[in-house]
Amino acid sequence: MIVQLNKFGTTLVSRPSGKEAWLAFQPTLNEVPESEEIIVDFEGVIVLTPSWADEFLSPLRSKFKDNVKLQNTDNPSVAATLATLAKQ
Amino acid sequence: MHRFDKICIGLDQSMQNKLISIGKAAQLIGVSIDTLRRWDATGRLKSTRSGIKGHRYYLKDDIEAFLQDVTALARNWIQTSHGIEPEAEMYCRTRDIFQARLENFESKLSRIAPLTTVSLVTAVAGEIGNNSFDHNLGNWPDIPGIFFSYSMRNRTVVLADRGLGILTTLKRVRPQLTNSEDALKVAFTETLSGRFPEVRGNGLKFVRSIIIKNPFTLDFQTGDAYLSLKKNDEDIIVQKLNTSIRGCFVIIGFESLI
Repeated sequence: MIVQLNKFGTTLVSRPSGKEAWLAFQPTLNEVPESEEIIVDFEGVIVLTPSWADEFLSPLRSKFKDNVKLQNTDNPSVAATLATLAKQ
Repeated sequence: MHRFDKICIGLDQSMQNKLISIGKAAQLIGVSIDTLRRWDATGRLKSTRSGIKGHRYYLKDDIEAFLQDVTALARNWIQTSHGIEPEAEMYCRTRDIFQARLENFESKLSRIAPLTTVSLVTAVAGEIGNNSFDHNLGNWPDIPGIFFSYSMRNRTVVLADRGLGILTTLKRVRPQLTNSEDALKVAFTETLSGRFPEVRGNGLKFVRSIIIKNPFTLDFQTGDAYLSLKKNDEDIIVQKLNTSIRGCFVIIGFESLI
């Protein structure tokens, strides 16, 4: 399945909003088998920070592991956030 | 003849060149026209009435002086011993207000700057502002929330909080920390969160990574510790200042747009 992050907003900066996005998306994710590929699409996201991403992408990766793929990650703050999380 | 010129008939040429409209002044400062009218009435920022209808105009020098003062206003706010709420336009009592104003800032910045600058400067401001809420929620010593303001003209964003400060926050998880200088250095160099056992502590490392790779500047004070960062800075050199502040005081500069 494809997760279009811009459906959660285009300025994704705070932990509470990242956590809320994760919780709100649970009913959808619960229908997806853990073996299925999850494509996270950053198209349209203008601002992303590690705080938001840590509440959404980190648990997503914990659940679906290597089946999580990222696309359209060229936005500067998206790239910087992913680089920061990769060092964790 | 331009409307502005008509209104200014009667003023000498040198005076006309120094006047700007209330709309332009509101745009430069980043507040509404109604706010400027209120500030005029209370004397916070006085206008000059000119023309037959007595429209409000502003002296360019007054606006420039006021814009310089955003930083001074924030500094005064965190240095006063008895906390008072900042002006409404600069005060984000809750995270929701900060989010709305941050998006407004992002929108205004996008009119003068390319996406790269907009994305990175907003991310830095967003991370620092939200850090204040993350670490002080339920524990604000006096005034809850943050001071958040900016000057598009001066290419500056100012954030401040009267929170616990980095030393108090990090001391919970690293008791051997004894001064703000060491705490500030740890915050910018190590992944250590004051909200253990949650996996956190990336925020200021992220900020650092952006500042040192781009034509931005960062001035960060907490307690009596001060850090200045700019492009290509490899080391974190924290200085001890004579004056100590409560919480954190941050100035982000983006004079050179990417």
